[in-house]
Amino acid sequence: MLLGNKTYLVLHKSAVHFVLLGVLLIFSLPSMADERIGLVKTYEPKASVIRQGAETALGVGAEIFKGDTIVTDSSGAVGIIFNDGAVLTLGPSGKLIVENFLFNPAEAKVSFLSRVIKGSVAFASGAIGRISPGSVQFKTPTATLGLRGTKILIKVD
Amino acid sequence: MITRTLLALLISGLLTACCSSGTTVVLVPDAGGKVGQVELTTENGTTKLSKANESAQASKAKQAPGAPILLSDSKIHDMFADTLAKEPASPEHYRFYFETGSADLLADANAELARAKTAIQARKSCDLSVIGHADRVGDNEMNRGISMKRAGMVAKSLIDIGIAKECMDIRYYGENDPAIPTADNVAESRNRRVEIEIR
Repeated sequence: MLLGNKTYLVLHKSAVHFVLLGVLLIFSLPSMADERIGLVKTYEPKASVIRQGAETALGVGAEIFKGDTIVTDSSGAVGIIFNDGAVLTLGPSGKLIVENFLFNPAEAKVSFLSRVIKGSVAFASGAIGRISPGSVQFKTPTATLGLRGTKILIKVD
Repeated sequence: MITRTLLALLISGLLTACCSSGTTVVLVPDAGGKVGQVELTTENGTTKLSKANESAQASKAKQAPGAPILLSDSKIHDMFADTLAKEPASPEHYRFYFETGSADLLADANAELARAKTAIQARKSCDLSVIGHADRVGDNEMNRGISMKRAGMVAKSLIDIGIAKECMDIRYYGENDPAIPTADNVAESRNRRVEIEIR
């Protein structure tokens, strides 16, 4: 009887753990994907972000997420500082996609990949470039740029 | 008639060659004057830039990129004026140092805290990171722990002098982002630190 109770308790405990694990997964997965990766610091109209198919106007203080496509019109510009301290400015008539931004420095897991479709970009790398030189990359229609610190200007036309 | 068409073709060809096209990259000094490196790679080759104001072009994906050429400051400014005019101010950093294995602030920390507060207010920033670091004495696990404790200590001190908690994120890099790279198990006082990054 006693043994039976103990077994029950053990089963019960592991079931609770299993449920807890499930709850943790449910809460942690979307929050990781949803974490903002940068903030807009400078803005010249018009510039917007295309996120999950919807286009929204940007402004100073707007949040940037992984996967965002940033678009500027012929007089627009936008300056972003990312979570790792990298500074990116997209000039007029530009289009850029932040394809990957992985920043887990304690585990040395970092990556920063952007695609420049058109326009001019000024970029100064931050902690990702310091922790793992070569992990900051830009793709353009004709080439790949591998940055090993710190500042470059890119023009795609 | 044929000559005219040929001439037109020739001119348009020259125009394309001259003023388009593809990708141009320029390596420039950063805000601290440091110059890094960049590699421009196509399906057919790589051009490496390593000097200030060096530039290269990749006109077509299937062609090798061009050789590096040196551009003048004024040429670079002309090419990128609209973009450079909108560059955000670079993030600012303030640093706090620690004894080996300790997360206690040193005596001079108060002055640095005050300087950081002034900078946060001047910049009207609600976007800062408090980042803990360790040197390479001890294992990774231990260094993640101590760097986290150090960051927590500086964050608490900032909150105590009136900086909003909602404006900061607290992070720790363990031994992975040294100010001074060293071999493993080397004590380096400049790496036992917390940096406040004001964005």
